[in-house]
Amino acid sequence: MHAVLLAETSEEYLCGSAETLLAGMVRLGRKCIPVGCVNGGCGVCKVAIVKGSVRKCGPMSRVHVSEEEESQGVLLACRATPMSEIELKVIGKMKKIIW
Amino acid sequence: MGVMRIGHISIKVMDMAEALKHYQNVIGMKVTHTDAGGNVYLKCWDEWDKYSVILTPSNQAGFNHVAYKVTDDFALVRLAQKVRDYGIEVEELPAGTLPDCGRMVKFNMPSGHEMRLFAEKDILGTDVGSTNPDPWPDDMRGAGAHWLDHCLLVCEMDPERGVNTLVDNKHFFIKALNFFETEQVVVGPNGSIQIACFLSHSSKPHDIAFVAGPTSGLHHLSFFLDSWHDILKAADVMAKNRTRIDVAPTRHGITRGETIYFFDPSGNRNETFAGLGYQAQRDKPLITWTEDQVGRAIFYHTGSLVESFTTVYT
Repeated sequence: MHAVLLAETSEEYLCGSAETLLAGMVRLGRKCIPVGCVNGGCGVCKVAIVKGSVRKCGPMSRVHVSEEEESQGVLLACRATPMSEIELKVIGKMKKIIW
Repeated sequence: MGVMRIGHISIKVMDMAEALKHYQNVIGMKVTHTDAGGNVYLKCWDEWDKYSVILTPSNQAGFNHVAYKVTDDFALVRLAQKVRDYGIEVEELPAGTLPDCGRMVKFNMPSGHEMRLFAEKDILGTDVGSTNPDPWPDDMRGAGAHWLDHCLLVCEMDPERGVNTLVDNKHFFIKALNFFETEQVVVGPNGSIQIACFLSHSSKPHDIAFVAGPTSGLHHLSFFLDSWHDILKAADVMAKNRTRIDVAPTRHGITRGETIYFFDPSGNRNETFAGLGYQAQRDKPLITWTEDQVGRAIFYHTGSLVESFTTVYT
């Protein structure tokens, strides 16, 4: 289990090392990171890792995270598992289709 | 004669092995072809053409193109000309451009989505055959989807710039391709802004649909099931496969369809839906959903919008 801290809101939750940052948050019913397709395709769970290290565990659509961004610690929370205590910043958001 | 039905949809997947597990084990499709480029072609049990879904390996998720089948080559020639007369450039693709598929005409909808029309594709037949057929085959898998039914495409809309490619698409589909509108969702002062459009070229409530969004993309591709019981079973299959469900079984106000929304392993949204809904006809009065009942239009039981449904797409 690793602590995951959201830098901007000071929200914190505990995430298992075998579950993704997003899955851990969803399991606890928390809402601090936007939840979309949970499969790396839609981009709403985009985060920047400020402190700590993660393991990438699946492909992320290059529409939403470029290789350059990824090299700077930007990734989709549904595609990363924590390897240490994590501090992150939420970049993605739920942008409404006009309904 | 003219358009008959949706022929196939081509989408991008980031992990082909996971995608194939999903479309075979959850939807119930079968692989009928893999080409040299690694593209995989799949078919539902109750379809007779060789494939209705094309999965292309990519580092992205999302839409490549959608193709509609037309009655014959005369219709293909006539419709290609109607598209040109409408002011849209048409490219002719020779037979074999896609495997086992006759010649196609290719063009972009006003929203930018690539569309193709074709008249011929290799026929494998349904899994129950055409001679004294059983109602369903013994080797049905997963949700056992009958066929690919339709897709819903997100069309770029920006009221501040006066851009509404949803309405542009509607006019194009009606004028050039002879579709008719069955339902609409309107918002704004006097309901003057259309944000959703449902079009048919058959007696189904929709063969294609559009919704307005900040950029053009794919909202979902949809597979047909028979009944509410099949919807429940499909949801069980999704749970067994740990599929990410977007909207649990419910009913739409629009089309009256019984539905589940879920994501494939690349985040492309799928739908399994059941029920004929109603008989769509060209003289049936247009159904309108108003801004205050938009929740009911999509989610008839709760009348509330599910956030991911109206924000997430590829």
